[in-house]
Amino acid sequence: MISHEKRSGCEQSSLLKIAWVMLAASSVTLAQPVMAADYTITGSSNTYLRMTRTINKEDLYPLYEYLRFSVTAAEKDGSATSLHVGAWGRVDLFDKSTDHYTDGDLQYGYLSYQAAKNNLLVNAGRQFITEGVATERVDGLYVRSDFAAGITAAAFAGSPVVTTPNYKGGDFIYGGRVAQGKPGLYSVGVSALRDESDKAHDREEEGIDLWVHPVKQVDLTGRSSYNSITGGWMEHAYTLSVAPIDAVTVSADLSRINYEDYFYSVTTTAFALQPGGLLDPREKVTAAGVSAAWTPVKNLTVAAEYKNYGYELLGSADYVGGKVAYTTADALSLGASGHRMDGSSDRTRYYDYRLYALKKTGHTEFGVDFYNVIFDRPIDGVKSSYALTGIAGYEVTEKLKVGGDIEYSQSPDFDKEWRALVKVAYAFDMKCGEKGGKSEK
Amino acid sequence: MKSKILILLMMPLMACLLFACANTKSGALIHPEAVTGTPNCTECHTDAYAAMNHQAVDFFKKHSVFASNARRACASCHAESFCSDCHAHKEELKPNVKFSEAVERNLPHRGDYMSQHRIDGKINPASCAKCHGRTNNERCLTCHK
Repeated sequence: MISHEKRSGCEQSSLLKIAWVMLAASSVTLAQPVMAADYTITGSSNTYLRMTRTINKEDLYPLYEYLRFSVTAAEKDGSATSLHVGAWGRVDLFDKSTDHYTDGDLQYGYLSYQAAKNNLLVNAGRQFITEGVATERVDGLYVRSDFAAGITAAAFAGSPVVTTPNYKGGDFIYGGRVAQGKPGLYSVGVSALRDESDKAHDREEEGIDLWVHPVKQVDLTGRSSYNSITGGWMEHAYTLSVAPIDAVTVSADLSRINYEDYFYSVTTTAFALQPGGLLDPREKVTAAGVSAAWTPVKNLTVAAEYKNYGYELLGSADYVGGKVAYTTADALSLGASGHRMDGSSDRTRYYDYRLYALKKTGHTEFGVDFYNVIFDRPIDGVKSSYALTGIAGYEVTEKLKVGGDIEYSQSPDFDKEWRALVKVAYAFDMKCGEKGGKSEK
Repeated sequence: MKSKILILLMMPLMACLLFACANTKSGALIHPEAVTGTPNCTECHTDAYAAMNHQAVDFFKKHSVFASNARRACASCHAESFCSDCHAHKEELKPNVKFSEAVERNLPHRGDYMSQHRIDGKINPASCAKCHGRTNNERCLTCHK
C-alpha cells in the first residue's frame, strides 16, 4: 500500500512531468510557423485487453493503452526540431479492490533538435540515454556532437527516472562520453557517470568502449565498465564477428561480471547482495560463447551456439544448441530451436525447445508458437513446462489492425492455465511537404 | 588559480573550434529506402552499417554498442518507442505479449516467465538490470520485498 504522503509526492512528480511535456509541446507549436519547411506527425495507439489470472487464481482483465506521438518540423537544410511523447495506462476491468487497479507511466517525452551538420543533437525532457556506461532514463538535458579529428562527445545531466514511489533513486545524475574514431573503421570511447543521492546509493562509474570494423568481414564490439566506489571492474563484454564468406558468420563473445561491483547500489531488492543469499557479493561469472550461422539461401538461417558460464561459487554451466529460421518479409516465418542447459543445480539442468510458424495471407495472419522447458528433475512437481500460443490478426486498413492470441500453459507456478489477449493497433501519420516520416515502431 | 580560469575559458573556445572544424554532414533523419521485416543491412551496405545486419546471429548481443555509437542510425528507422518497448523499467506487459505475432524477433521472456526468471536470474542476473533498470522496480517488489 502506498501512503498518502508518498502518493502526494508521486502526484507532484507526475505534475512536474506533465509540465515538462506541455512546455516542450508549446515550444514546438510556437516555433513551427517560423522554422518549419516540412512537418511530419506520426502517432500510434495500441490497446490491449488481457484475460489472465494471478498465481492465487484471481481473475484479472487489465486494459492497457499505449499512446505514442511524434511531431517533426524538418528544415530544408537537413536540420529538424521534434517532439516525442510515449506513455501507457492501465485499468483493471474486473478487480477494483486495491489501489493498484490503475497504473501508468510516461515512458518518454522530450523535445529534440538535430542539426544539419556535425550530428549535433540536443534533447530536453524524459529520455532514454545510451552513452557508454550510461543506459539510463533521465529527466534532463542531453547534448552530443561531432568534432574535428574524428572526435565525438556527448553529455547529459538531470534527474534519474525512478518509477517506484517509495524509493528516492538519486537527486542528480550526469555524465558523458568522448570518442575518437574513423567512420567505418573504428571508434574508441571513454565514458563516465555520476549519480548523486546519498552516500549509500551514489554511483561513480567509468567505462571504455570500442567498435572496430577493419574490413568488411570482421567486426569487434565491446565495453568495460569500472566502479570507482568499490574500486573494481563491473563488467567486461566483448563480441567478435567474422564472416569469411557472405553466407557464414562466426561469432565469439566473452564477458565477465563481478557481482560486488556490478550490483553495488542497485536498489532492486531482487538484486540485494548478501553472502549466501540470492546474489552473493563474492560471486564472479565469466561467460565465453561461440556461435556460427549459415545462410544457404536467402531468408534461411541455420545456427549453432555454445556458451560456458564459469562461476567462482556456483560451479559452471554449459548452454548448447541450435536453431533454424526461415523468414520472408510480411509473408512467412518459420523457426525451430533446441538447447541444453547443463548447470550444477536442478533448476539449471534442462532442455528448452521452441517451434513457431506465422503465415500472412492477404490481410490476415495466423500463427502458432510453442515453447517448452523440460527439467531433468521436476520443479514443484512439474517436469515439463510449456506454453502453446495461437495467434491471429487482421489488417482492417493500412493503419488499423486487430488481433489477438490465446495461450495454454503448464508450469511450476501455473497448472493448465489459459490466457488470452485482444489488441487493436492504430497508427497514423500526416505529412506536409515532401519529406516522409518513420512509423511509430 | 589563474591557470584554472584560463583552462576554463579555453575549453569552450577549443570546443567551438573543434566543432567548427568538424564540418561533417549529419546522418539521414529517415532511412532513404523503406525497410520491412528484419533487415539484412549487408544487402546494400558494405561499410560499418553492414555490421548492423539485424539478421546476424549476434546482433542482439551487439545492439547496445550500436545504440551508443550510432543512435542516429537506429533512429533513422526506429521511433523512440522501439527502445521503450523493452527498456522500460516500469512495464507490465512482456515484449512477447505485446508483439506475439512477431515470432521471428528476439523478444525475451517467452512462455511462462514466472518460473523461468528464477533460472535466468541465477544464470546471468546482470542481464535483468539492462532492461529493468537498477533502481527499485515495482514488478520485482511484488514478490521481492
